[in-house]
Amino acid sequence: MAWLTDPLQAEFMQRALLEVALLAVPAGLLGTWIVLRRLAFFTHAAGSATFPGLVVAGPWGIPAQLAAFGAGLVYAGGLSALVRRARVAPDAATGLLLVGALAGGTILASDVYEAGAGVDRLLFGTLLGLDDADLAVSAVVAAVALAATAVLGRAWLATGFDPGGARPLGVRAGAGDAALLLVIALAVVAVLPAVGALLVGTLLVVPAATARLLGRSVREIQLLAVALALAEGAGGLLLAYHLDLPPGPAVAVLAGGAFAVAAVARR
Amino acid sequence: MSAVRAEHLAAGYRADEPVLRDVEFAAEAGQTVAVLAPNGGGKTTLFRTLLGELAAAHGTFAVDGTLASVPQHDQARLDFPVSALDVALMGAYGRTPWWRRIARADREAAREALARVGLADRARDAFGSLSGGQRRRVAIARAIVQDARVLLLDEPFAGVDRASEERILAVLDELAGEGRTLLIASHDVEQSRRWDRVLCLNRRQIAFGTPEDTLTAPTLAATYGDELVVLREPRMGLTIQHHDH
Repeated sequence: MAWLTDPLQAEFMQRALLEVALLAVPAGLLGTWIVLRRLAFFTHAAGSATFPGLVVAGPWGIPAQLAAFGAGLVYAGGLSALVRRARVAPDAATGLLLVGALAGGTILASDVYEAGAGVDRLLFGTLLGLDDADLAVSAVVAAVALAATAVLGRAWLATGFDPGGARPLGVRAGAGDAALLLVIALAVVAVLPAVGALLVGTLLVVPAATARLLGRSVREIQLLAVALALAEGAGGLLLAYHLDLPPGPAVAVLAGGAFAVAAVARR
Repeated sequence: MSAVRAEHLAAGYRADEPVLRDVEFAAEAGQTVAVLAPNGGGKTTLFRTLLGELAAAHGTFAVDGTLASVPQHDQARLDFPVSALDVALMGAYGRTPWWRRIARADREAAREALARVGLADRARDAFGSLSGGQRRRVAIARAIVQDARVLLLDEPFAGVDRASEERILAVLDELAGEGRTLLIASHDVEQSRRWDRVLCLNRRQIAFGTPEDTLTAPTLAATYGDELVVLREPRMGLTIQHHDH
């Protein structure tokens, strides 16, 4: 029991748990749409795309969340331009931007700003050094995810189920899709401090992918994914505390293990 | 006012090159209209124009009341976690304001619509687990929930099992009896005899009228062009044999 309660005496652990609880909401609710709408690669690349923004945020003296969101917008604009104007296949365009963002960020970090050890934190997150702004962003994004799910869930369902058939039903598919990408971008920014630019899928993809194996309806999958994200986040934190592991990767390993168990159990 | 009326209608993917022209017909409430056309003859263009997905290049058309589409190609994602009831309920999305939940009356309507198409016991089943014919029936149930006055059915009997075909025929008769107008795209010339009107298209309108007036050898030859028309028995029936290119 002390194994569970001792870590909670520390304030940084209380903050980390609160962060995990807040992030479980967008992770489960939006993660379900990310998985159902096949946006996992888009989401992973969006996370990586924030890396150059995070690198320059400190030296330039701008808030990390704002820099990350700005880099995310550049990514979205670049993706749209490559797909629509240059007619590059969407997955190839995503891969291209992912490579560009990681390479550009690494060069900026090593040669321009000599960020050194801080790079690890940007790429893999640190649940153990969160400030008030991180928690505030997570709380806002959790509220946005709840509201968007309530308001746009039907449009996302109809459009995802039958893209061509949504319009005759009176569903505004285009506006719904644009809103989905925007709230995913917000969720990516929110999970960065916890799991870093390279591991956003730990929270935004893996719990929902696991829940997808077990749930029968969108509602079931969402509730299950929120619970899984919360359990995996808290479990990863405890493992990190006791075994002195980096918390982001610890959560990722737990989440991957849960997926494997669910995949085997379903067969 | 007619339920569906087209006047001098021409439409296509490019305004300067309509793929369908000279469309001129009026279908009244409660009428069933077979739409016969060869592949590429313009029935998809007509339906998409009526649905507002393509702009009319020339002419006008008017639809009185809600229009619903029962599509042929199952482009729906069969791996999506939706039940037959969920899909039928989508018929209520258009009239549900974004801040509201689906009304209880609409849930009831969706259950009743599924019962009408003979799928009351499959309401909770995953849509992807249903047969092709059953999925087509769910799409009809969805149109019923939409309370559409005009239904566009794209080959509702293609690749459908016998039980589904009989059920669909019975439901379509009921829907027409309720004063709804049905446009039924089909390749089945024989079956077209049971509908009230026949619209023949081959990149332009070839004919519109009663089955007796339209289902003649010259009209069908003009409609299907080089696709073979076989006269089985005098006055009895014609079937179209398709060449797959």
